[in-house]
Amino acid sequence: MTLLKVEDLHTHFISRDLDNQICIAKALNGVSFSLEAGRVLGIVGETGAGKSLTAQSIVGLLRPPAKIVAGSVRFEGRELTDMPDAELNRIRGNNIAMVVQNPRTSLDPLTRVGDQLVRLHQIHSGGPKTASHKRALEMMEAVGLPDPESRAKSWPHELSGGMAQRVLLAMALMNSPKLLIADEPTTGLDVTVQAQILDLLRSLVARFDMATLIITHDLGVVAHFCNDIAVMFGGSIVETGSVRDVFAAPAHPYTRNLIAATPERFQMGRAKALGGQPPDLYNLPSGCVLQSRCAYATELCQTTVRNAEVAEGHFALCHYAGRLEEQPAVKINA
Amino acid sequence: MTFQRFLLRRALMVIPLMIGVVFITFMLVRIGGLDPVGRLAGPTATQAEFDSIRNNLGLDQPLWKQFSIYLGNVVRGDLGESWLSNRSVLTDIKERAVISLELLFWGVGIGALVGVPVGLRAAFRPNGRFDQFTRVLSLFGFSIPTYWLALVMIFVFFYLLGWSPPAIGRMSLLVTPPDMITGSYLIDGVLTARWDAARSAASQLILPVICLAIVSAAPIIKQTRAIAIEVLSSDTVRYAHACGLPERNVRKLVLRNSAVPILTYIGTEVTGLVGTMSLIEYVFAWGGLGQYGLNAIISGDFTAVQGYVLVLAVFSVLVFIVIDFVVYLIEPRSELS
Ligand SMILES: Nc1ncnc2c1ncn2[C@@H]1O[C@H](COP(=O)(O)OP(=O)(O)OP(=O)(O)O)[C@@H](O)[C@H]1O
Ligand code: SF4
Ligand SMILES: [Mg+2]
Repeated sequence: MTLLKVEDLHTHFISRDLDNQICIAKALNGVSFSLEAGRVLGIVGETGAGKSLTAQSIVGLLRPPAKIVAGSVRFEGRELTDMPDAELNRIRGNNIAMVVQNPRTSLDPLTRVGDQLVRLHQIHSGGPKTASHKRALEMMEAVGLPDPESRAKSWPHELSGGMAQRVLLAMALMNSPKLLIADEPTTGLDVTVQAQILDLLRSLVARFDMATLIITHDLGVVAHFCNDIAVMFGGSIVETGSVRDVFAAPAHPYTRNLIAATPERFQMGRAKALGGQPPDLYNLPSGCVLQSRCAYATELCQTTVRNAEVAEGHFALCHYAGRLEEQPAVKINA
Repeated sequence: MTFQRFLLRRALMVIPLMIGVVFITFMLVRIGGLDPVGRLAGPTATQAEFDSIRNNLGLDQPLWKQFSIYLGNVVRGDLGESWLSNRSVLTDIKERAVISLELLFWGVGIGALVGVPVGLRAAFRPNGRFDQFTRVLSLFGFSIPTYWLALVMIFVFFYLLGWSPPAIGRMSLLVTPPDMITGSYLIDGVLTARWDAARSAASQLILPVICLAIVSAAPIIKQTRAIAIEVLSSDTVRYAHACGLPERNVRKLVLRNSAVPILTYIGTEVTGLVGTMSLIEYVFAWGGLGQYGLNAIISGDFTAVQGYVLVLAVFSVLVFIVIDFVVYLIEPRSELS
C-alpha cells in the first residue's frame, strides 16, 4: 500500500482586506504525489514555491488564514485532512515525525534535552519511564551525539546548531516513525555541519527504514540523497519522477532552468539562468503559472495545463512536455 | 552563582544608581521653585527672621556643600527631619511604607490574579468573542482617570448603596486600632485576635483595593495577551504541535514560557504605580507613603521629598531583585545575572 498519497491538494490563504473584501492567495494549486514505504522523495523549488506549506498541509499544521480548500492526504489509507486534532496528535511525532529548520529555537527552552526526548516517547509510546529514558540515550547515540548521558542534561541554549539538529533527529526517531518529513534540515548550519547532518540523515533513513520527504533548495541534496524528485513552482508540482529520469531528461522548462542554474556537476542543459518574479498568488494567470517567465510560452499556455507523462512515472505539468525542442515558433516571451 | 554573591553584586551595581537618584532629586527639589522658607516664616515675617530660618536650614550654604552634607547623612541612614513637622523623615516613611505596601499588595495581587488568566484566555483565541469583550473592558481600565474612578466608587458604594464604609482612612473611627506589630491594621488585628479591628480594616481596604486592581489589571491583561500570543506563534510551540503534543501539554508549555516575561512586566508595573497610588491614597485619605509624598511636594518639604523619592528608588531595586530571584526559581536554566 502507498504510505502517503497526496491528491489534488489546494491550500489557500483566505483573509479580508481593508474594504472587507475577501482576498484569496492560492498558495497550493492541486499538489499531487505519492510516497511508498522506504522511498526518499525530495521536494525542490525556489523560495515561496509552497514547499513548507505542502508539508504543513499534510500533517495538519496550517494556521489561519491558511486553509485546505480541496484535496486529500492519505496516510496508510487514512484521510488526514478532516481528521480531528486530537487524533492527528497521535500520528504527529509518532508515525509521522518532522525535522524543522530552526532546531535551537524549536526545542522547549525550559526543558532539558533528555527530558524532551523522554516526554515525546511517553506521550506516544507510553510504557515505563526507564524504558523511555533508555531509548532516549540510544537515539542520542544513533544521531552521533557524544556522551549521551551528560548531553541529556543540557539545556537547548547550550547546544550548537548542528548538535540541536541532531537532537531534533533523535526526537524524530524516538517513536520509530514510518514517515520522516525534513523541511530544510540543514539551512542555517555551517557548510561542513550541513554535510555531516545530511550524511547522518541518509544513514538513519536506511537504518530505520523510514519513508522520507525532504524539502530543500539544493538540487545536490536531491541528487545524492533521494530516489524521487518533485519540483515545485507557484504552488504546483511542475515535474516529478525518479531522480535519475528527471536529471537525465528534464521535461519542464522550469526544471531545466533549475538544473542549469546549479553548479556544473548537475548542469545538463544550456538553458537560461533562473530569474523573474514569483507568480502573484492573489492573482494567478489562467493556464500555466510559469507563463510570464517561460521562454517557451505561447498562447496555448494560457489554457489549463494537464500533467503529461513523458516516461513511465515521469510527469511534467507543461503543454509542451516531452516536445519542447520541436515547440512552435510563436513565443510570447522571446 | 550563589544567591549571596548575586545579592552582593546587585548591591554594588545599585550604589552608583542610588547616588545618582539622591543627586537628581536633591537638585530638582532645589531648582523646582518651591519655597519652604516663605511657608515656615509666614506672611508677617521680617527679613531677619527669613535669614535666620534660611541659615538654620543650611539653605545659605553653596549647593555642593548642602549636597555633600545631605549625602553624608543619607549614607549613615539619616534622612533628616521634616522642615514642617520636625519629625524624622525615616520614621515617618517607615510607618507609612507598610500602609502603602498593604494596599499595593492586595491591589496589584488581585489585578494580576484576574488579569493574567484573562489575558491568557484572550490569547488562546485571539479576536474571539472573549478577546473582544476583554479588549473593551481593558480599554475602559486604561482610559479611566484614577481619581475619578475612586470618587465614583465612593459615590456609588458608600453614598448610593451604603455597602462600604466612608472613605475616611484605614479604620472606622468607632474601632480602636489593634496593638502595633507590623503596622497593617488587618494583619495586626488578626495577630492580636482583635476581630473587630481586622474586620473594619478589611472593609476599609475593599474600595481602594478594587480601584487599584482595576487600574493595574488593564495593562496586565494587555501585556499577558501580547506575550502569550507571541509564545503561541513561536518556533517552540509550532514544533510542539508537529510533535503531536496534546493540547493540554501545549498550554502548559505556553504558560511556562510566558511566565517570566509576564512576571517581569508586573514588576515594572508595580514600580510605575507611584502616581496612581498617590491619587488613590489621597481620595481615600489613606495616609500612606503616596499621600505623604504628595503632601511633601505640595508643601515644599525638601527633606521629605528627597526621602520619599529615595525610598521609591530603593523599592524599585528591591522589586527587581525579587523578580530576578523568582525568575531563577521558575527558570532553572537561567543564571542569576
Ligand atoms: N499569511 C499569508 N498570506 C498569504 N500568503 C502567504 C501567507 N503566508 C505565506 N504565504 C505564501 O505562501 C507561499 C508558500 O510559502 P512556503 O513557506 O510554503 O514556501 P517555501 O517553498 O517553503 O519557501 P522557502 O524556501 O522560503 O521555505 C509563499 O509564496 C508565501 O508568500
Ligand atoms: S505550459 Fe507553456 S508556459 Fe508553462 S512551462 Fe510549458 S511552455 Fe512554459
Ligand atoms: Mg519553507
